[in-house]
Amino acid sequence: MEPKKIGCYICTGCGIGDALDLKALKAIASKEQKIPVVKDHALLCGAEGVAMIQKDLDEGAVNAVIIAACSHREKSAEFRFDIDLMDRVDLRDKCLWVQDVKDGDETAEEDRQMMAEDYLRLGSIKIKKMNVPDPFLHSEGSKDVLVVGGGLAGLTAARDIAKAGYQAVLVEKSDVLGGKMNAMFKVTPDNKPPYRDLADNFIGSLISEVEADNRIKIFKNATVTKTSGQPGQFDLIIKNATSTKEVRVGSIVVTTGFDLYDPTKLPSSLGYGASPDVVTSAEFEKMAKEGKIVRKSDGQPAKRVAFALCAGQRDKEHLDYCSGACCIYSMKQALYVIDQYGADASTYLVYQEIRTPGQMEDFYRKVQEEGGVFIKGDVTAVAGNPKGGVVVKVNDHLIRAHESLDVDLLVLATGMVSTVDTLDPNSPSPVGTGRDELPGSILNLQYRQGPSLPRLGTNDFPDSHFICFPYETRRTGIYVAGPARRPMGIAATMTDASGAALKAIQAVEAVALGVGVHPRSGDLSFPSYRAEGCTQCKRCTEECPFGAINEDDKGNPLFNPARCRRCSTCMGACPQKIISFANYSVDMISTMIKEIEIPEEDEEKPRILVFACTNDAVPALDMMGRLRSPISPYIRIIPLRCMGSLSLVWIADAMSKGFDGVLLMGCRHGDNYQCHNVRGSALAEIRLSKVSETLQRLKLESNRVKMVEVNIMDAETLPGVIGDFVEQISNLNPNPYKGF
Amino acid sequence: MAYDLSFAKDVYNKSEMGHWIKMCMQCGVCAGSCPLRAHWQHSPRQLFQMVRAGKRDEVLKSSDMWMCTSCYNCIVRCPRELPITHIIHGLARYAETEKAVDPMQPTRRFAVEVFWKNITATGRVGEAMLTMRLYFQDGIGAGIQRGLEMRDSALGMLKTRRLNPIPFRGKIKGYDGFTKMLAKAAELEAKLENKA
Amino acid sequence: MADAHAAGQTILVVGGGISGLTTAVEAAETGYNVLLVEKDPQLGGRVAQHNKYFPKLCSPVCGLEINFQRIKNNPRIRYLTLSEVEEIQGSEGNYTVRIRKNPRFVTEACTGCGDCAAVCTTEVADPFNFGLNKVKAIRNNHAMAFPSWYYMDPAYAKTDEAKQVAKICPAGAIQPDMEASVIEEQVAAVVWATGWKPYDAEKILPYGFGQYANVTTNMRFERLASVYGPTGGKIIRPSDGKEAKSVAFIQCAGSRDHNYLPFCSRVCCLASMKQATYVRDQYPDSKVTVFYIDLRAMDRYESFLQKTREDANISWIKSKPARIEEDANGNPVVIGENTLTGERYAMPFDLVVLATGMEPHSAVDAKVPSDQASHDEYGFVTGGVLAAGCAAAPTDVASSVQSATAMAMKAIHAAVKRG
Repeated sequence: MEPKKIGCYICTGCGIGDALDLKALKAIASKEQKIPVVKDHALLCGAEGVAMIQKDLDEGAVNAVIIAACSHREKSAEFRFDIDLMDRVDLRDKCLWVQDVKDGDETAEEDRQMMAEDYLRLGSIKIKKMNVPDPFLHSEGSKDVLVVGGGLAGLTAARDIAKAGYQAVLVEKSDVLGGKMNAMFKVTPDNKPPYRDLADNFIGSLISEVEADNRIKIFKNATVTKTSGQPGQFDLIIKNATSTKEVRVGSIVVTTGFDLYDPTKLPSSLGYGASPDVVTSAEFEKMAKEGKIVRKSDGQPAKRVAFALCAGQRDKEHLDYCSGACCIYSMKQALYVIDQYGADASTYLVYQEIRTPGQMEDFYRKVQEEGGVFIKGDVTAVAGNPKGGVVVKVNDHLIRAHESLDVDLLVLATGMVSTVDTLDPNSPSPVGTGRDELPGSILNLQYRQGPSLPRLGTNDFPDSHFICFPYETRRTGIYVAGPARRPMGIAATMTDASGAALKAIQAVEAVALGVGVHPRSGDLSFPSYRAEGCTQCKRCTEECPFGAINEDDKGNPLFNPARCRRCSTCMGACPQKIISFANYSVDMISTMIKEIEIPEEDEEKPRILVFACTNDAVPALDMMGRLRSPISPYIRIIPLRCMGSLSLVWIADAMSKGFDGVLLMGCRHGDNYQCHNVRGSALAEIRLSKVSETLQRLKLESNRVKMVEVNIMDAETLPGVIGDFVEQISNLNPNPYKGF
Repeated sequence: MAYDLSFAKDVYNKSEMGHWIKMCMQCGVCAGSCPLRAHWQHSPRQLFQMVRAGKRDEVLKSSDMWMCTSCYNCIVRCPRELPITHIIHGLARYAETEKAVDPMQPTRRFAVEVFWKNITATGRVGEAMLTMRLYFQDGIGAGIQRGLEMRDSALGMLKTRRLNPIPFRGKIKGYDGFTKMLAKAAELEAKLENKA
Repeated sequence: MADAHAAGQTILVVGGGISGLTTAVEAAETGYNVLLVEKDPQLGGRVAQHNKYFPKLCSPVCGLEINFQRIKNNPRIRYLTLSEVEEIQGSEGNYTVRIRKNPRFVTEACTGCGDCAAVCTTEVADPFNFGLNKVKAIRNNHAMAFPSWYYMDPAYAKTDEAKQVAKICPAGAIQPDMEASVIEEQVAAVVWATGWKPYDAEKILPYGFGQYANVTTNMRFERLASVYGPTGGKIIRPSDGKEAKSVAFIQCAGSRDHNYLPFCSRVCCLASMKQATYVRDQYPDSKVTVFYIDLRAMDRYESFLQKTREDANISWIKSKPARIEEDANGNPVVIGENTLTGERYAMPFDLVVLATGMEPHSAVDAKVPSDQASHDEYGFVTGGVLAAGCAAAPTDVASSVQSATAMAMKAIHAAVKRG
């Protein structure tokens, strides 16, 4: 690459020119920071201002640009140049707009000018330290997608991948495709108006469609015994009874579906096992599909059927969640009885809450219309009836009475348990799933952090940000769909599988371009390390929230750039400071810290460094600017890519430089974490717990460093948070290292 | 007690609008809407659930469905569009045809013994006789006592010409047509019941 | 792209709420061109008006910001605000669409400096806050709104003051003479993601919304609880500004009801549980009562129900209240029967929140033009053009994102078919 030719363009619009000493600012850029081209414009984002910059670029005078104007969140379209290096210095939102300077208040004016000058210094250092990322590209990458599990979700995903023009590899552990759908008699009209009529099972035609598609390679009786590598080059070993195949794919969709909760683990009050006439919904479905709905005990017609909903669900002792689909499923089964026995049928649904969301309320009405009786209550006991069938004791909440139901069959609506093996170091036991042991690994990932997918919080679901970005697991290029991801019914499963298929092809395209995916989609940078400095401490491999780093035989980290989300947690984890990105490094931030001017102690102008997470804290600070909320002129903000990149050496640097305090603004962590990179802010907090050692070594008070959780909507409270910290620091003596 | 749908099925078939009982989702809006709810032992939705539970005797012997004054508040508010007022009247009628009603049920007695006779005899309601029959249906002593209790109301109504003290005599014009209509209605009803 | 022809195709996404944004960024990041059309001045849609999401109780702005960032960084996405699709001709793989761009009266040159709003003297009821407060006739929806340039109310643009205000804009961005224009585009697929609007609670006569000051709706309550809402986040009652410490939520206000919306709006139960936490967090001595028919905390959201149930100061009454009256102190009194005890109640509260449901925009003011879609009887789109999120069915945010991602896939199929 040709040498960096930096141009610094200062906007004087939006009051910047009136408030700041432009000449002095330009002198900082050109004289102090030795930037060759320094220009200003009264409206830099206007056509003329942009043209001025473009001209310098076209003429080759400049190939790296500093825009000193407003927040980087503004005017991105105007300041979009075809160059690799650019940085924004925010003179307006985070300086001008948060400094309350009265006319004639020279001290305040001076403070504001100092702040602006420091921000210009920071921007200058940053661009000097930035290098153009060289994207990680692989010549033998694959754009094929592995789909594991050939049930409804897997078939749908494979078909959609193929229809989009990609090759799919479908692995099914049994000898047939279709999964649990094969046992299904009729399907409910989940998204088919008028939402009342059952439809025939369509799985046969979907299987045929998939089998006929030559873009889909199908392995039956097969499992994935090994998944190594990274997106774009996942190397699989697919085994069946007779052969072992090695296959390379670019991304993976896991659609292994669900197991039904083990009925023998249900509360004894539900009577499973007490009589052959107590069956699960799955057993009942099979019977209906085979044609005759009869008592299991004696084969007599089962005209009177009760359904116990939420069997072993919404129950801390069993599944603590609701499976979402069982109300509708049981209603469908009630219709089977009514269809078969007409006026002789009696069906009872014993429920806690009827959950027929959306238009499926119409289906609820349909089942009532057909005579299904809904009883809000609990099944308290079940006993075999000598005449055949069972007697079910019900506590009916609506008529407030204990009654009994004399029925031919009792059907228990058991819940769905995900078949995906999840990884949670804090709770490795299969809590509340009714399983005796953890499921075997679906993918057998050859990842340093284990063969399974990490789960979210206390829930046993393999995802990371399930509200805004439900498909994101913590393993890049691997997506989970259908009831393997979260309990769901037929229509939702198909939708979910289509979405996961999209994410999978998106991932292979991103890998092919060498760019990151969510949450830093498009980012070309990735970490690398200086091998000679490594002490094999393994912190990077352990802390990476996405399991991107493996270890070689000697214990050195092995980076898998295509697994990387570019969060920079590894960089902060490394005690040797040898992990860096082309455009982001420990050294860059250290140099920025050292470049900030620290006034002499007798000037009584303390300096407080703020490390702000660029994801939530920085936008909140921007919003504070928009609200024109004044804050102390003594703070200097350095945005961090993620709090996970926090290196303790920066704290030491700040203290040695003479900063009086350091305030860290990270995202909420813990169960309801908001960190875009899942673990970044939590890890920063753990690292920070060791900062007192650094401070002690420097003989400084431990309360000079504080971490706060900042949410993107905290602009209202931020001035107070900052104010309190500034006051706390003001009560301490000035940092004695000033001027050293 | 055991749940049994045979009673419910009979109600669905025979009671006027009875099949609508299937559609109740037990939200309770009818109960809250009824101005006379304080006097009901069971609210409409409770009655419906009892029908579905097979509590035949409790439902049919209940006084509840005789309380309805046809204000239609419940119908207007029912989210499932149940014609509750009609269902309730239907249940009362069903109880009567099933001969399950307590013969002393006051509304029933008034409706069946007093009101029906009064109106079919002449073709119109004779207020004076109607009141008299109602008050005196339990004997002379009780009649006098009730009359005295209601004296102020009666005088007030007389004053404002809300009560005609002179009994209606004779028959309305077209009384023949009226009786034919009643006969036809009875015939239709019998046919319906046979069908069911 | 796997298919070079397909990659040149454009996908039209109608609606810039969470569903439309998701379809747009997911398709664009897979390599397809996207045209995103939004009828309001700023993107974000309904979720932007929410204070927090259930069950994490985090701000929607966080996820929106990520999506806005992705839009800013991705030249494949073009977006139009204040625009509506007027006509669609053709069929899947090959549509011609006509889009009307309504005037914003402020161009993209706006720097967001706010000088114009500072001198504007005309105030209007704030539609973003459901008219609960007044705002300037030239403004931004909120500090984080995207795109961040201002817009002007059409009525104000006609005034003389608007012409004066235009003169003070340092960027020359204000143009009160701006007129509507119509553009035509060729697209391979159309994804309808027009979302929902709150059901008009005034139609639910027995609950007295519009008649009693202290009966409000769940969406208004979101704004009331937001620090950027009309009260700065203070939960107070409208009649007298008193702290609302005794709050009732009435579920299915307009949903699951043949008099109003017969379907279930799916999110209202969870929304009320969430809003109950707003009250409980703000006032430790507060009490909340939730009136419900069935509590629909679907699948994993069940844990959120269990969590709110642990709070003894939140009571749950299984009952659809019959009506609301007002007592002498301006307290709304909720009247009905507890279906589990059979007891009648008449309970006064400081504030009653009606959990009103979702009316699909596709049924009302964002109909798919030119018979290009089939609808169910409620106006949800069931066929023809693709439909994402609440244009297809009432859904929560996570399910909307799921649906929107799936629709990106289906739209790509259409593009591939054409390519």
